[in-house]
Amino acid sequence: MKSVEEIKAAIETAVPGAAVTVIPNPAPNAQHSLLIGAQHGVAVAEFLRDNEELALDYLSNVTGVDYLDKEIPEKVKVTRQVSKTVDGVEQTVDEMVEETRKRVEPGYLEAVYHLFSVAKKHGPVIIRMRTANRTDQVELPSLTPVWRGAEFQEREIFDLFGIVFTGHPDLRRILMWDEFKDHPMRRDYVEPDDFEYEPTAHDEVLKRAQEHKAKVAAGEAVQ
Amino acid sequence: MASSPYFSLAVLFVVALGFGLAPLGLAWLWQKVFSPAKPNEIKNAIYECGLQSRGDAWVQFRSAYYLYAIIFLIFDVEAIFLLPFAVAFTGLGAAACVSMLVFVLLLIEGLAWAWAKGVLTWA
Amino acid sequence: MAVDEKLKIELGKQGVMVTTIQELYNWGRRSSIWPMQFGLACCAIEMIATTMARYDLARFGSEVFRPSPRQADLMIISGTVTKKMAPQVVRLYNQMAEPRYVIAMGACAISGGPFKQGYNVLKGIDRYIPVDVHIPGCPPRPEALIQAFMTLQKKIDEQHLTGEGRPRHLDEQAPGEFQVPEFGEHDLDPPSNPGTWTVPKIIQ
Repeated sequence: MKSVEEIKAAIETAVPGAAVTVIPNPAPNAQHSLLIGAQHGVAVAEFLRDNEELALDYLSNVTGVDYLDKEIPEKVKVTRQVSKTVDGVEQTVDEMVEETRKRVEPGYLEAVYHLFSVAKKHGPVIIRMRTANRTDQVELPSLTPVWRGAEFQEREIFDLFGIVFTGHPDLRRILMWDEFKDHPMRRDYVEPDDFEYEPTAHDEVLKRAQEHKAKVAAGEAVQ
Repeated sequence: MASSPYFSLAVLFVVALGFGLAPLGLAWLWQKVFSPAKPNEIKNAIYECGLQSRGDAWVQFRSAYYLYAIIFLIFDVEAIFLLPFAVAFTGLGAAACVSMLVFVLLLIEGLAWAWAKGVLTWA
Repeated sequence: MAVDEKLKIELGKQGVMVTTIQELYNWGRRSSIWPMQFGLACCAIEMIATTMARYDLARFGSEVFRPSPRQADLMIISGTVTKKMAPQVVRLYNQMAEPRYVIAMGACAISGGPFKQGYNVLKGIDRYIPVDVHIPGCPPRPEALIQAFMTLQKKIDEQHLTGEGRPRHLDEQAPGEFQVPEFGEHDLDPPSNPGTWTVPKIIQ
């Protein structure tokens, strides 16, 4: 099979304008993946399926990943006016000061597709697509028209992560009920407070138990 | 009255009736005395699949199913007549063959009519 | 009117049977508990094994699994009750005719089990319907289910026809319908039926 770099080159020649990035995997299995720009998702998928050499005709798995907003501390050099006494005279002097600033990198939702070829007996080729953010721009192109097997798994990702797949033939919740509003697999999902006595509360559970007790003390929850 | 030959029969009839009705009466009495009826909307719902019952159990079937069944029945009966005809075929005269032909043609005409009317298309 | 136990045995030796209506009634009920035929998860496999030749539930008169709630006396909650499944289970329980009993089989049915911290599993079916016998285990062995049947039979045997302690189905005031939860935006609504379940008190 072609290496990831070769596949990247092949995609870029076949689909002009497709933004493909190789994301290396440092683990021993070295399953590097290809990050694909969402706007060319369907074209790239069709190329991967129909290309005679790759012939990735089998989609084995689709899954979602949630990346929260990241705060990155940075050291920045800033010039500032500082008042100083030089030679007994007070004056303002420009001075370089090092400051730590926090830069917020916006989070995103990601869909990961694992592709195999039954005809050529090779794989997996892993492609990823990312949403612009994780609040209002959560659309990704659906690859169900390319690989029919993606239908239920994309519905599951829509249900649990909240990625909206445009072009999906039947995008409804598949595991939770239709009236449900949350996306339980997101990292910032807050469970309903139906805490009950745990004999060996620890870590997360202990934290929730204490929060619940505080709520009961404040009279917001029953028992 | 006791001398009537039917007296023993009448006694047996009354006993038989009582044998059937007494358990029903006892059950009714038991229900009255001990177990109160507590009907509710969910318990009286038509369907019992766990989901919320919708609609009525009295649903109308399409009349096309009925026509289908009748056509099947006619040819089922025809086969019964055709079998002895086929067995006795070599020993039959011309008149018997003609009358059988008329019988089969009549049924085939019926089938052709149903076909033309579109009864046989399943939509 | 209770019959003296010793006198009863003595009479039995002489070929005279003495009983009370209550005893006869309870004997009849406990000897033919018909379960409802449905399984929710892996515990159902153990339930099926219990009914088969090796464990032979027929010895307890319970081999007649009914496919309709209207003909069943017992509901075996055999497995995980997801929040999506809970309204259906409660609705089926409501459709059963009195007297009806519930066995909560396995860790999931009694408390949520390994999924207790999850977002999708009900933390015990006794939040919505009254449970008569709880069986722990993951899954419980068929012997445990048979033990539950024997416990239930003992429970039925001790029920009185009249008086304060009479069972729910003989009491006109006791509720016959249990609230079916609705699908809410974040959780089932209500998250538990306060008439049948309260948060267990912690005694230090």
